[in-house]
Amino acid sequence: MTRARLQEIGLGVLPFAGLLAAWWAITGLTHVSMATLPSPAAVWSAASGLWSTGDLQTDILTSMGRIALGAGVSIVLGIGLGLAAGLNRPLGDLLLPLASFFNSVSGIAWIPLAITWFGLGTVAVTFIIVNAVFFLIFFNTVLGVRSVPRIMEQAVRTLGGGYRELILHVFLPGALPHIMSGIRSGLGFGWRALIAAELIAATSGLGFLIYDASNFLRSDRILTGILIIGAIWMIIDNLVLKPLERRTVERWGTVRTL
Amino acid sequence: MATVRIRAAEAGRELEAPAGLDRLRRALSRAGRSLLPFALLVAVWWAVEVAFRLSPTVLPSPWQTVSATWPLIQRGILPDYVTSSLTRMAIAGLFGVAAGVPMGLLLGSNRYVSVAFAPFLNFFQALSGIAWLPLMLVWFGFGEKTIQAVILYTVFFPVAFNTMIGVRTVPLHYAHALRVLGAGRLRLIRDVWVPGALPSILLGLRLGIAYGWRALIAGEMVVGAGGIGFLLFQARSFHQTDRIMDGMILIGLLWLLIDLGFLRPVERATIERWGMLQR
Repeated sequence: MTRARLQEIGLGVLPFAGLLAAWWAITGLTHVSMATLPSPAAVWSAASGLWSTGDLQTDILTSMGRIALGAGVSIVLGIGLGLAAGLNRPLGDLLLPLASFFNSVSGIAWIPLAITWFGLGTVAVTFIIVNAVFFLIFFNTVLGVRSVPRIMEQAVRTLGGGYRELILHVFLPGALPHIMSGIRSGLGFGWRALIAAELIAATSGLGFLIYDASNFLRSDRILTGILIIGAIWMIIDNLVLKPLERRTVERWGTVRTL
Repeated sequence: MATVRIRAAEAGRELEAPAGLDRLRRALSRAGRSLLPFALLVAVWWAVEVAFRLSPTVLPSPWQTVSATWPLIQRGILPDYVTSSLTRMAIAGLFGVAAGVPMGLLLGSNRYVSVAFAPFLNFFQALSGIAWLPLMLVWFGFGEKTIQAVILYTVFFPVAFNTMIGVRTVPLHYAHALRVLGAGRLRLIRDVWVPGALPSILLGLRLGIAYGWRALIAGEMVVGAGGIGFLLFQARSFHQTDRIMDGMILIGLLWLLIDLGFLRPVERATIERWGMLQR
């Protein structure tokens, strides 16, 4: 690790430390109630309490399972249908306005209808996530496929390539940067939709954890949940999505120089 | 004499008519092409409703859905809720930008400060406003303040973070050039940092408004102080699925209004501006 990187990390920790110190000072010096602002120590003990009973692990795994399921369904359907609509211009022209409208409706607006259709639980939550994620991936896949220069397609055709080769070696790699940015921004909306859906349409998961805690004015548990929700998203975004996006963009770079 | 004049006018019109007609035809066909998918969607919806004989609580017919809007409009519920949702979005958006841009400029103007605050702002940008909803409920109760606070939070962080990043991407030469010529900090902000960071600021604005809109809907569902989200949620409690559908369509249309009527024009103006800077 270089000196500059170390310095960057050291500097980056400072504002968090400052906030923690301010939080500690406020809870220590003023007599603010536990329900309004619990001290860092109280949040820590709430977190370890939830951890020791196993509730926290269950909620984390439930939420992550739901986002994985929703994202998986959206990615498979989005890329599959996106390729079909990207390759067939009339179909694409037909589906793009619908996709952009449903994208505007946003997953969160589906919460009441999802409860009506599927009741409370994982099916409703997954349905809401898919509605937040799928359309963005679909939209970006279509745009990505359309952005592939025709000359590449014609080159492969001239050499006797069929649809299989075209999709695997031309359209999918060519559209990949678009697809990846669709997945990344889609999941950003999906993660937020998950939390909203769990607040309202579920009886388990991190969203339910914080909503349930607010009914009992357990702000220590709410803050535990908030911090974990933020941390999980930072991990997903920085360790999974950003590297994947960077790699595909780099790949695109090499494709373009050819 | 009169006929000649009319002839001349007609001739003139004929000369320009093809262009005007052509433009009209093109606009109509464009409108038709983008409306066709929605017509097909409604047809499919109707066919499903008829074929499966679904109860109106599961899937109301398109006609039922449309006619459910009349009482809502007549009693003034819909205009009232739409205004309160849009007002909330506008106020929180305005304050979010008014606070986020200066904060971003302030943090971005110093290299060490911006390096220090990048992970901090990124964390709070990533931490969705919706997750703060339960805590805001404890702090402010079930009312206007909670919704406002959540949207404000959701708008502020992307704007502040992206403004800061934007300032850092402005080539240092520009700031140096102005400094050499004796410009003060205010002049630098006005002529270098704000215009240079504008594309990034707008990226933050778009993200903030998009997340904020969703947080608004979620907040209104949970808080229950009026608004479109509340309309949806209340309709669910009474199994009025037609009203839920109305609300969803409205949410989609209103977002399109915000996007096409506000975000896109602002972006177009500044992307052009950005292009000028590049040249």
